[in-house]
Amino acid sequence: MVPTGTEETICRLVREYSEMLLRLACTRLSSVSDAEDAVQEVFLRLLAAPVSFRDAGHEKAWLIRTTLHRASDIRRQAEKRNLPLEEAAQTAAPEPGTDLLQAVQALPEKYGAVIHLHYYEGYSIREIGTLLDLPAATVGTRLARGRERLREMLKEEIK
Amino acid sequence: MNWNDYRKAVDALPLSADFQERTEELVRRTAKIAELEKECISVKKKGFIKAVSIAAAVALLTISAYAASRWLSPAQVADMNGNAALAQAFESEDAIKLNQSVQTENFCVTLAGLVSGENLSELSDQADQARTYAVMILESLDGTPLNADDFPIVEYTLTPLVAGFTPWTVNNWTLNASVSLLERDGVLYYLLDTQNIEMFADHTVYMAFYQGRMPDQDIFTIAEDGTIAFAESFEGPQALFTLPLDESKADPAAVEQFMDESGFDREWFTS
Repeated sequence: MVPTGTEETICRLVREYSEMLLRLACTRLSSVSDAEDAVQEVFLRLLAAPVSFRDAGHEKAWLIRTTLHRASDIRRQAEKRNLPLEEAAQTAAPEPGTDLLQAVQALPEKYGAVIHLHYYEGYSIREIGTLLDLPAATVGTRLARGRERLREMLKEEIK
Repeated sequence: MNWNDYRKAVDALPLSADFQERTEELVRRTAKIAELEKECISVKKKGFIKAVSIAAAVALLTISAYAASRWLSPAQVADMNGNAALAQAFESEDAIKLNQSVQTENFCVTLAGLVSGENLSELSDQADQARTYAVMILESLDGTPLNADDFPIVEYTLTPLVAGFTPWTVNNWTLNASVSLLERDGVLYYLLDTQNIEMFADHTVYMAFYQGRMPDQDIFTIAEDGTIAFAESFEGPQALFTLPLDESKADPAAVEQFMDESGFDREWFTS
């Protein structure tokens, strides 16, 4: 069991995972500022409601899933307020060569998360299965379908 | 698609260099504020308890209401687990509110509520299959705050059981369940996520909590009519709740499929 709830423990988690979680949140949110909010809220949640982690793997998996969930919440709230995501993307991520990243951001969460964890963080299909509590076969299917959707989206853009 | 370009694009995101530092600072600041608030609440509670003791005529009612209000609701537990969709489900008409308590050793075990259905959770990727979620509350009878570290999930078990089926074939493990534990103000909250147990609703379905691991013959006995009880010789905190499931939701075909997929010999389910 890895105890949480104390500021020291949470600060250790911040040092260990905040960058990775921030990049992950950026695959759901085109505004870096929103992504920062999502990740910070996840850490603050641990302060308010400590979770007993079985081990480091459980700890990482919880952080990843909760970050994805919170980022998706923020995204839905933004969509409800009719804030066009493209507009946020233009103001927050003007770097060139971001077509593929923006396409990943536009994917449904279940595809975007596995694509990012595999192609950016370098996790194997089996590792992603453990992190997201999914059978490896499902992760493989989502990777394939995610890639297929990206191909379609990027083709459409070229047209 | 060139995944190197993707990695470069992610690396080029305008992430602020001091995010980690700012987040640590935010955690420390929030922890301090929470500590101050806790001290204030403690002072207020002392005053509250004195006031309640004066109103002795309504003591029982007051204590019940106080007990109910000081617990987190199942929806709040789900929300604190980062699961807003499940929180909504616990607030829906389909949720079963139980609030049944059992006193065992120095503990009060309360089964707060449960809800079943598809797509109730955004965290579980099995959510598109029918699942059941339950919230159980554990607190000490003498008011000693409980610490989650003293109740490792692997050493305490919260599991559904079904009359007519052996506890070693229909349980947390075979139902592909998981449990999250959170602690708030010295009270422990268990959130169980299991394969839908409504399929067994034409049987008596239980929720068992005990100190121990996989259900076995040292922990449970089965009567001739299939009902399940804790073994008399079994010691340690234990609670067995009967769930008021809607019998019309029983799904014998799903139960058959569950047994087929379990890989167990059929006779294991009944003997």
